[in-house]
Amino acid sequence: MPRKVVSGPDYDDEYGDYDEYDDDDYDETEYGNNHPVNMGKESLKKSSSTVPVHWTCSMCTFSNHESMVYCEMCGVFRETFVKSAKDGLLKDAAVAVSTEPRTSDASKTDSAKTPVKIRALDSDGDSARKHAMSYDKANSMQLTSAGSSLGAEKKKKTPVLSEVPVERIALLASDGFQLKGNQSGGASSSSQNDNVIQKLSSDLGQLNVDKNNVNVTKPCLSEEYKPEKWMLADPESGVLSQLNLAIVGHVDSGKSTLSGRLLHLLGRISRKDMHKNEKESKEKGKGSFAFAWAMDESSEERERGVTMTVAVAYLETKKFRVVLLDSPGHKDFVPNMISGATQADAAILVVDASTGSFEAGMNGEGGKGVGQTKEHAQLVRSFGVEQLVVAVNKMDAVAYAKERFDFIKLQLGSFLRSCNFKDSAITWIPLSAVENQNLINAPSDARLTSWYQGFCLLDAIDSLQLPSRDVSKPLILPICDVIKSRSTGQWAAYGKLETGAIQNGSKVLVLPSGQEATVKTIERDSNSCTIARAGDNVAICLQGIDGSQLIPGGVLCHPGFPVAVANHLELKVLVLDITTPILVGSQVEFHIHHVKEAARVTKIIALLDKTGKPSKSAPRFLKSKQNALIQVTLDGAVCVQEFSKSRALGRAYLRSSGRTIAVGVVNQIIVQDQN
Amino acid sequence: MKLVHRNLVRNGPGSVKLVPEEEDDLWHAYNLIAIGDNLQAVTVRKVLREVASGGRDAERVKLKLEIVVESVDYDKEGSVLRVRGKNITENDHVKIGQFHTLELELKRPFVLRKEIWDWLALETIQQACDPAASADLAVILMQEGLAHLFLIGRSITATRARIETSIPRKHGPAIAGYETALKKFFEHVLQALLKHIDFEVVQCVVIASPGFTKDQFRDYLFLEAARRDLRVIIENKQRLVLAHATSGYKHSLKEVLDTPGVMALIKDTKAAQEVRALQDFFNMLTNDPARACYGPKHVAIAHEQYAAVQTLLITDTLFRNADIATRQKYVNLVEGVKKSNATVHIFSSMHVSGEQLAQLTGIAAILRFPLPQLDDIEM
Repeated sequence: MPRKVVSGPDYDDEYGDYDEYDDDDYDETEYGNNHPVNMGKESLKKSSSTVPVHWTCSMCTFSNHESMVYCEMCGVFRETFVKSAKDGLLKDAAVAVSTEPRTSDASKTDSAKTPVKIRALDSDGDSARKHAMSYDKANSMQLTSAGSSLGAEKKKKTPVLSEVPVERIALLASDGFQLKGNQSGGASSSSQNDNVIQKLSSDLGQLNVDKNNVNVTKPCLSEEYKPEKWMLADPESGVLSQLNLAIVGHVDSGKSTLSGRLLHLLGRISRKDMHKNEKESKEKGKGSFAFAWAMDESSEERERGVTMTVAVAYLETKKFRVVLLDSPGHKDFVPNMISGATQADAAILVVDASTGSFEAGMNGEGGKGVGQTKEHAQLVRSFGVEQLVVAVNKMDAVAYAKERFDFIKLQLGSFLRSCNFKDSAITWIPLSAVENQNLINAPSDARLTSWYQGFCLLDAIDSLQLPSRDVSKPLILPICDVIKSRSTGQWAAYGKLETGAIQNGSKVLVLPSGQEATVKTIERDSNSCTIARAGDNVAICLQGIDGSQLIPGGVLCHPGFPVAVANHLELKVLVLDITTPILVGSQVEFHIHHVKEAARVTKIIALLDKTGKPSKSAPRFLKSKQNALIQVTLDGAVCVQEFSKSRALGRAYLRSSGRTIAVGVVNQIIVQDQN
Repeated sequence: MKLVHRNLVRNGPGSVKLVPEEEDDLWHAYNLIAIGDNLQAVTVRKVLREVASGGRDAERVKLKLEIVVESVDYDKEGSVLRVRGKNITENDHVKIGQFHTLELELKRPFVLRKEIWDWLALETIQQACDPAASADLAVILMQEGLAHLFLIGRSITATRARIETSIPRKHGPAIAGYETALKKFFEHVLQALLKHIDFEVVQCVVIASPGFTKDQFRDYLFLEAARRDLRVIIENKQRLVLAHATSGYKHSLKEVLDTPGVMALIKDTKAAQEVRALQDFFNMLTNDPARACYGPKHVAIAHEQYAAVQTLLITDTLFRNADIATRQKYVNLVEGVKKSNATVHIFSSMHVSGEQLAQLTGIAAILRFPLPQLDDIEM
């Protein structure tokens, strides 16, 4: 895939802007080697006059700038980098980078546009960065830190600049050494160092050029973020990791009943509550809803026997602390399902096995259109969920017939494959929530045991793989829900930590209002805890903020690393099965993490072919199954990030007339002209 | 609109005297008055005069002025039309060539003089003066946490209120918070309804939402009406209609107008025809994409080279173009299309369907036969 921005060799114009830069502190390897500085200069010149060469990602064929160690699109590491790291050339660097290779080595790209706010940062790990930044202004700079951070920059570049690797290492080393020496002897030869550093920074500038043209929004300097010790999880702590599990499926397939049943079997519902639910549901003549009522608590939902918003419940298995997100299946509540279940790590797709119901789930009522079994499956896939447990429910209604199970498996399986689910990541389980077959124990009914010996549902949940968590990135927590605590009168934000970690007393920035607040308490499943890490679903009580500033769909983030708030986006979309084509000017509902906003398509830039290359520019309209690059304008600004930077904040869904018409990722945030 | 006096030649010069009577009429007047026309109306102007003592004295004088129009400004909310231009009437207070802004309001007559009365202008007058019952319909479009209140007139849709509150998700024991938040939200909508809907004028009120929000709201409405003895609502119970919509955003309004129940209420109005025409266009685009096209370039080619246009959809914004040549171009296009026995729908840009058409470049056409070659021409 070609880059959109051509990075020409005229870096000098940009030069002035990049004087101030910064990075993690980083101080290995440099000291052993002391080549003279001018040699370093030479090699620098050499490298800065080199026209950048692009390398092609082995996975997605995106052509990346040579300075990138990983692919900008898909995050796959460049082969040469991996190799050189193995060679031991970068032994130390590799150690330092290994904790968070992506964030740290991308640092050079964005570091130039540090907002003023960040400079005022005062967490311990940032001291080196601060010094480096104030370099030009303050004469009494701490050369060690400046030098070493430079070294860090350089060193990480080394493996990708195949032309001059050795010299560059030498240069780095000499820089580090020289600067260090300087500091001990007082800042006497600072002018010389100045030179070197400016050269270095111009060099950095050069590497920045291409990226900065693209990245016009507020910079997210996630690269220079340095996680503190407490943030990193201790793998041996014995605490089970949290798994966010969405339960999805067509209306009336038994999602709530299944969730309620699971909770009951695992002892999460007291006998008193259960008895109450049973009694009340019988009184209303809806005896079969007793378990569903454990999830559907609002009177409206009980009255109609339909889940309307996503219910959250907690349970523990042998391997995980599971957060169940029981989503509504009715087609009118798909927006609720999207905003409530985007945080899912894995999903259970509940399918009604009984005759006619499965078909309705696939093809919609009356066989027309798309049923929610399909729509939900497509949606959860676009949430980033890769592992799916298909629970074929109500097997009792078809007398536990193997033929029916196989039929469903065949039909749905081929559809799931078309949604990009891997066969190996799908587990098929026949069960009956009402008769309690195959939920937490192996089935007892002979009609089922005669042909099924696989997992029961609970084992299937335990067999799921936990997705990787980006604990060492800056905090991002999309707010799913805001509740005023009745006891303390304080506002609490519910949501899943996408990246980073948070503890009591942490300062957070609340977007889109832009206010800062302090974390007072953190609650997980109504129990308070001190630290929450990426992947945890928590309620965070905030101090120092008004409730009106805290809205669902907002984002809590690290004060130094704000996410963008924008209303004009470029998306890369996959159009789903639609009847009315998407035109320029089509009005859609735009969903991203927990927000929805009215939007319209302002431009269809190009159609993309299978490999992601533009195949036709400015087409008249988009039809089913096409990939395209489009621009949308939202009525109101939302918190958003490019997909390449943050997956959770970069996935978008377009809906219209009660259907999901396209799913996609944010390719680029477009800054509006000021007029 | 009342036509008081008319003295004109078709496709020639002339003048009309009109009295706007409803809000819609001002919209028509807005479409009628073009830059370069002469407009005469009674107005008030503050006149400064020097007194003998040397001091200055401001005085408000009521005058009848005629101006050459330079710009027209329509205020949707306040229903006023402001027309700015240079004075051409000789009088004691305002010099010829001085700028003045005339404010056209309801019940104030004005005289409009044009060099050329094209068929479009005449049709606008005819439409505006058509006494056929106007479709005054109120629509409350809602979803949990978001509600819009619209008044739909013959040619304009006015957004009267927008209510937005955040409603928490159900969360264990905090479920009560959800219910109170919902109650509060309904209360806001109820207040908006009482404030903006005049049952004397409005034929009926449509409550539309996805899911059960509409039923919940109606129950709430009746309950509160009985409790607080709100006569207006109790007496007009039959005029509340429920309809399904897929969201609470404004663009869902066209789905509401499209539902059979509501369609029956507004059957013969312009709004309904527009909704239907746009729906036809989309259906054609779905079933036979080569027989539908949009964008000025594509439509012009389809008409001029192939005479293929069967139904033309165009918004009135295009005629309001400041550039007279452009307006002429569109007027000619429409006229040409009409001559080829095609149907022309001129959408009011104040209705949602018109708004949507405006998004699609403002012009679209259903073709008599497929023109796949349009695909190759860039828009």
